Amino acid sequence: MSAPARVPFRNPGWAGNTGEFDLTEAEVRGTDFVGERPLDGGHESAAPSYPYMLPDKDPDAVLFEGPYRERFEKIRTRYPTARAALIPTLNLAQELRGHVSPETMDEVAALLGLASAEVRGTVTFYTMYNKRPVGRFLIQVCTNISCSLCKGEEVLEAFLRHTGTELGETSGDGDFTVIEVECLAACGFPVAVQINSRYYENVLPDDVPALLQRLREHGE
Amino acid sequence: MSTVTLTIDGQRVTVPEGTSLLHAAEEIGVEVPHYCYHAALSAPAQCRLCLVDVEGAPKPMPSCVTQAQDGQVVRTDEGLAREMRKGVLEFYLINHPLDCPICDQSGECKLQDYVHSEGRAHGRGVEPKRVFGRDDFGGDVLFYGDRCVMCTRCVRFMEEMAQDPVLTVVERGDRAVIDTFFEQGLKDSSWSGNIVDICPVGALVSKDFLHKARAWDLDHTPSVCPNCSQGCNVDIHTRDNVVHRLKPRENPEVNGHWMCDYGRGHYEWMNRSDRIEEPFVRGDGGWSAPGWHGALASLRERLQDCRGPVHAVASAHASNEDLAALRELVERIGGGDIVYRSARAPDEVPLPGFPMLARRRDLAPNTRGAELLGMRRVGGDDASGGLDEVAASTGTLIVLGDELADQPEDFGSRAELFAYLGAHPAPAARSAHFVLPVTTFAEQEGTFTNVQTRVQRFEPALRAPGSAQPAWQVLGALTASLAGER
Repeated sequence: MSAPARVPFRNPGWAGNTGEFDLTEAEVRGTDFVGERPLDGGHESAAPSYPYMLPDKDPDAVLFEGPYRERFEKIRTRYPTARAALIPTLNLAQELRGHVSPETMDEVAALLGLASAEVRGTVTFYTMYNKRPVGRFLIQVCTNISCSLCKGEEVLEAFLRHTGTELGETSGDGDFTVIEVECLAACGFPVAVQINSRYYENVLPDDVPALLQRLREHGE
Repeated sequence: MSTVTLTIDGQRVTVPEGTSLLHAAEEIGVEVPHYCYHAALSAPAQCRLCLVDVEGAPKPMPSCVTQAQDGQVVRTDEGLAREMRKGVLEFYLINHPLDCPICDQSGECKLQDYVHSEGRAHGRGVEPKRVFGRDDFGGDVLFYGDRCVMCTRCVRFMEEMAQDPVLTVVERGDRAVIDTFFEQGLKDSSWSGNIVDICPVGALVSKDFLHKARAWDLDHTPSVCPNCSQGCNVDIHTRDNVVHRLKPRENPEVNGHWMCDYGRGHYEWMNRSDRIEEPFVRGDGGWSAPGWHGALASLRERLQDCRGPVHAVASAHASNEDLAALRELVERIGGGDIVYRSARAPDEVPLPGFPMLARRRDLAPNTRGAELLGMRRVGGDDASGGLDEVAASTGTLIVLGDELADQPEDFGSRAELFAYLGAHPAPAARSAHFVLPVTTFAEQEGTFTNVQTRVQRFEPALRAPGSAQPAWQVLGALTASLAGER
C-alpha cells in the first residue's frame, strides 16, 4: 500500500480549519468550547444543553448528585415548565451515563414530574440520544448528499471493517461504535465524521486505519 | 356577539367571530376531510388533510385552526384544495397496508372514505412498505401500527381527557409509531375504549369486537347505556338480533363524545338466550301455559280476591314506564311498599377532562327514576339481601325484573299470590303462581332517569323472544282491567 506521506487527516478536527489561516481552535470557537470543560459545564448559556461526553461513563451513576445536582437545579430554574427542561436534563443524564436506558427515562420522568411515555417519545425522536450503551468512541459517519458524493458510504464501510463491528454494534474491546448519521452540517468538508463531540472532516476511506490508531493511542 | 360573513364554495355563510373555517363549512353542509382535528380535543393541525384554498393567502390554510374572517373567499372542493388532498392522501398510503378486507374499521374508516372519494385510483409506490405488525396495548385495545395515520388523537385523548398520558409518539419519520412506555400498556385506564372510537382508521381496534362483524352489517339503535346511573347516550350496534357493541352517541349535556370501558363492556347480558318465552301459570296440577289472555285473566281474578298486604320488588334496570305501571297496579290493589335492590360500586370514576361524566356508583340506569317513584332501596351494595320482610309476606307479592339470585328456593312460598315478571328464569321464583315474560330494555321503547334527573329515551334494538311483552304493557293491561275499563 502506497501510504501517502501526509498527516493521517488533514485537519486536527474542528470545523472551519482549512489550513489557510494560522488560527487555533480556541480563537475560532471561543475558549468555552475548547479544552478541559469544567464540571459545571463552562459558559452558563451553553452548559446545560450541550451534551459533553465524559471519557468514563458510568451507566449506574446517580441522577443527580454533587455538581450534577447543581447543574440540574440550574436547568430547573432556567425553564418555565418541566417539559421545557426535559431535553437539557436528558443531555445531563446521557453525559453521565453514556446512554439513555428505559430506566434512565423513568428516572428523568420522576425527577421532572412528567409521564414516562412522554420522555420515551422525546428520547426516541432525537437521534442524538443513545438508546443503548456505546463504545468509548462513538463514530458517526455522515452519508448525506455531500458526503455521499465524496464516498461517505465507503468511509462508513472502512470504519466498520477496521473496527470489526456491525453498524450500531460496539466492538469487542468496548472502544468503538460506528453509526450512520444524516447531515452533520459540515457539507463544505465532506466526508464529515463526528467522533464523540469532535468533528473530523475531509475524511477519506484510506484515512480510517490511521485515524483509529490515533484514537486508540491518544484518545480524541 | 359579533359575526363575520364569508363565502365558502360559492355559498355565503355568517358565523360568530372566532369560528374555524372547518366549522363554518359544516354550517353549510360541507365536510372538510380531517384526521387530527376532533371537536373535544386540542387541534395540532398536523394531518394536513383539512387544507383549504383561501383567496389571498399565500399557501393553503388548515381549516381546523384558521379563523373565519369577514369577506374571506374559501374553496374546499376544487382546484388547489382538491389537489392538495389528493397529494396528502397519496402520502398517507405510502406505508398503509391496504388490508381493508381483514380490517375491522373497514366501512367506517376515514382513510377508506377519503381515498375512495378523492384519492388516486392507483398507487405509484415501488418501494417495499415498512411493517410494524400489531401491539397489545392492554385492556380492550389492540394497535395495528401499519394502519396508523399519526393523527395523535389517541395521545391527546389520554393526555387531555383521561389526563393519564400513557400514550406517546415513539421515534420519528416513517419509523414513528404510537406506543406506551415500553411494556407498560394502558395500565388500568377506565376510559381507553374511547381511543378506539376516535381513531379515524383501523389502527386502534377493540379486541372484543375483533373480526366479529363488518361495520356495514350493523344496525345502529339510539339508546342509553344501562350500566350505571350516568345514562351515557349510546348506539347499540346489532346484527341478526345480536348486540355486538355499544358506541357512545354525542350528547354535550351528559357524556360528551365519551363513555367508560365498564359501560362499554357490559352488553353480553342483552344476548342471553335463557329467556322466559311465554306466560306460565302454576295451578294444582302443576305448570300450564295458557297464553297471555288466559294468564292475565286468571291473574286479574286472583288479584281481585287477594286481601292480604301487598309487597313488590322492582328493579332499577326497568324503565320509568315499567316502574310507573307497577306503582299504579300496586295502588290499584290497595297500595303497598315497593322496594328495589341495586349494586353500588365503592366509588365514582370520573373522566378528568370532562368532569360531568363519571362511572357512577349506582350500577343501574334508573335508580333515580325508582327513587322519584317512591320506591325504597333495600339490600347491600352487591344487590343482595334486604328482602326478609318481603319473603315473609303472606299477602300479594309482585316481583318485576329482580332475578332473586341470592334468595332461597322457597322465596315467597307463604304468599297468597306471587307473580314474577322477568326476562330470565329465576330459580327463586319457583313458588310463583304466575311467571310472566317481559322484555329487556334493549327490546322495548322507554325512558330512564339519570343521575342528573334527566329523562332519556331509548329505542328497541332487538326483537323480543317468544311472546315477551314490555312490563308496562302487562302491568298496564292488568290495572286497566281491574279498573273495569275492559
